[in-house]
Amino acid sequence: MRKTNINWLKKKREGLYCVPGNFFIDPVLPVEKALITHAHTDHARPNNKSIFSSKETIELMHLRYGESYCSDFQIARFDEKIKINDVTVQILPAGHIFGSIQFLINYKGYRLLISGDYKRTKDKTCLSYEPVKCDTFITEATFGLPIFNHPNDESEVKKLIKSIKANVNKTHLIGVYALGKCQRLITLLRNLGYDETIYLHGALTKISDFYSKNNIKLGNISNISECSRSEYANKLVLCPPSSLNDKWSQKFKNVVKGYASGWMRIRQRVKQKNIELPLILSDHADWGEILKTVNDVNPNEVLVTHGREEALVHYLTKKNFKSSALNLIGFEDENE
Amino acid sequence: MNDFVELLNDLILSPSRKKKINLLKIFFCKSNLKDKGWAFCILTNRMDRKFLSVKELKELIIENSDEDLFRFSYDYVGDLAETISLLWRTNNEKNTKINLHEFMELFSSFDQKNKLKTKLKSFLDRSSENQRYAIIKILTGGLRVGVSNGLIKEALKLSGVREKSEIEEFWHGFKLPCTDLFEWLDGKELPKYINRKKLFNSFMLANNYNSNEFKTYKTDDYIAEFKWDGIRAQIIFSEDGKIFSRNGEDITNSFCDINTFIKGYFVVDGEIVVKKNNKVLSFNHLQKRIGRKNPSKKLIDDYPIHFIAYDILFYTNVDCRTLSLIERKKYLNRFINIYKFNNISTSSLIKFSSWDQLQNIKETSLNNHIEGVIIKKKTSLYKKGRVIEGWYKWKRNPFSVDFIIMYAQRGHGKRSSFYSDFTFGCWVDEQLTKLVPVGKAYSGYTNDELKSLDRWVRNNTVERFGPVRSLKPGLVVEVSFDNINYSSRHKSGVALRFPRFTRIRWDKPISEVCSLKYIKDLIN
Repeated sequence: MRKTNINWLKKKREGLYCVPGNFFIDPVLPVEKALITHAHTDHARPNNKSIFSSKETIELMHLRYGESYCSDFQIARFDEKIKINDVTVQILPAGHIFGSIQFLINYKGYRLLISGDYKRTKDKTCLSYEPVKCDTFITEATFGLPIFNHPNDESEVKKLIKSIKANVNKTHLIGVYALGKCQRLITLLRNLGYDETIYLHGALTKISDFYSKNNIKLGNISNISECSRSEYANKLVLCPPSSLNDKWSQKFKNVVKGYASGWMRIRQRVKQKNIELPLILSDHADWGEILKTVNDVNPNEVLVTHGREEALVHYLTKKNFKSSALNLIGFEDENE
Repeated sequence: MNDFVELLNDLILSPSRKKKINLLKIFFCKSNLKDKGWAFCILTNRMDRKFLSVKELKELIIENSDEDLFRFSYDYVGDLAETISLLWRTNNEKNTKINLHEFMELFSSFDQKNKLKTKLKSFLDRSSENQRYAIIKILTGGLRVGVSNGLIKEALKLSGVREKSEIEEFWHGFKLPCTDLFEWLDGKELPKYINRKKLFNSFMLANNYNSNEFKTYKTDDYIAEFKWDGIRAQIIFSEDGKIFSRNGEDITNSFCDINTFIKGYFVVDGEIVVKKNNKVLSFNHLQKRIGRKNPSKKLIDDYPIHFIAYDILFYTNVDCRTLSLIERKKYLNRFINIYKFNNISTSSLIKFSSWDQLQNIKETSLNNHIEGVIIKKKTSLYKKGRVIEGWYKWKRNPFSVDFIIMYAQRGHGKRSSFYSDFTFGCWVDEQLTKLVPVGKAYSGYTNDELKSLDRWVRNNTVERFGPVRSLKPGLVVEVSFDNINYSSRHKSGVALRFPRFTRIRWDKPISEVCSLKYIKDLIN
């Protein structure tokens, strides 16, 4: 253990607060100034006075929240260092979803890296994670257990294509998170040569169109409401996970239900959700990626937040890193 | 082996019964005879040995990984085989190519645990995750892949020439590795070693009492008996007598104070209880005898077994199952009167003339160790399982008390990752300052309630002790239980029988929960 905890970072009711910068990072309640890592709803919330994030994240927040997305915004760029009060802030890509970034905060020469959510697997819908040396590293631990070892994403998507071919008379209904997972899955399908029209639940269309407009090619996508019931068979339909077992999904009679998520690694989870076709596809770092990242950024200290903190803290401490759990509240424990 | 690995995986993920039967059928069709036999033995859990204990498995994974990381992971996953298969570290992962029967024969051949462990390690090292999972499940037994024996019988019926009733009759007779079962299903003769008279017979079970249904039933058509709080057993009296438990397990040795040696063949159905000085004692007393393979003389004297017989399946050559209950009762009485056992008696009939009267008897009986009454149609035949117009159980109204949730733990299997196992308690005394744990409950809530409880646990954790979370006293639950007794094993001094949640009292203040004295007063 080489250095002490940074004393200029505080946990407040609103969220993580940087004292010399006078701003919050991904606050759960509205604040004066918020730095937003990415546009998922547990990180980016509406009604902040001023937000600072990537152009894509700000636009996505606008798309989702309308005028309550903020009163004032500042776009962060990769090539500049911004001074906010007594700190300088630099952004780096996080590889989690389109527009996701990390914040490197420098105060009096001490470097704090806040990763937000991240992954190291290549993803064509966003810039790849960029490691940078720091003193304190705040990492997520959504999949912070050694049992999580995400398989190759293409081989998972091949399972889906294989199942579509093997069940010609069935509708494939796949649960995906509306922002990120949906578009990544489509891109992977396209890369593997699946060029049929992919049908989307209404909740997924707005964001997917946003991706298309930003030159992320999704091919032929269409709202499922434009498809007549008699034509459901052999179609691939993507929907939010919550819709897999609700009333909406009952209109599909002969159906294979799938779910694209890192949680599909665990059979009992798959069973709990009545999933027949689990696709282990995650936008979060698995155990190996987290450890690799810790090594890459080589900090004195690692603070662990949302997810399975205990195992990671335990392991890093054993490896002589100063490490503790941040215990932030308000982040969905098991969402992806 | 890979077909079987795939079968297990598909079975777990198949929600419908029809699809599961179909998967089994396909597997039994395409596999070779030996693989089929072993697969059947594994799926029906009739392995004659346990290759590895849970403790040994844990040692193996800790050696391969790390004790704490294993503990965190197991707590999270909630299934040992799955945790190990995901956690196992190897540089050489590929697909093992070995037939299921070769694998089973190999592992059955080890008589030394060390050899078995070494071989297992090398198998785990060169297997895929799915294979590791299957291997561990096979070696520890108890697959929990959602396949009941009934389902397998359906699949066998579909693939062979035998009727389901025939399969039913000889189901318990086939021995490891059960290749002869599949030959028999294809039309060959029964193996010589199967002696019908030594086999366990499927039990008739009781439906739940339904007051609406019974309004229209005539009391004259039914008899009623007390439902004792013991264990269901089937005794075969013969020169090679046997006692079987509810699921067909041979428990003869545990209850050796019942004499089953008789020249002839009689199969009797009834309840095992502990009875001393002419009084049936609580289930707690019986528990001392359950699972003890060679009970000592002292144990037998302290907890003497008594068998309350209520039905007869075979009386020498008479298959009583095809007779009406009234006829069977005559045969049963004749049997008991002839042999005059000192620790076997017949279950006495309750005199009643209306359902209301029966209810009154059920609730007010002073005997603390009855669970309720069983109502049986006089004309009913003895058939397997729950039969309409057969038997009905009418339980006593349970006790119901409000408690405070104190600790929570994650569940296993279906409930893995949810905080679903709760320890609840009440106040130590009227000062309402200290709580004492009284019992544990794992059921009674709906899936939605489970999610709310899970959220509540996560938001109200005070401390963690390994997998256990200690909770801020704040949530009251209504708990029902069938009975209550003194117990020296519990800190509170009482033990509840089958506690389950009946309501979550989100609104109720903890100050309105009772003290331990009130609970103890319930015993009398």
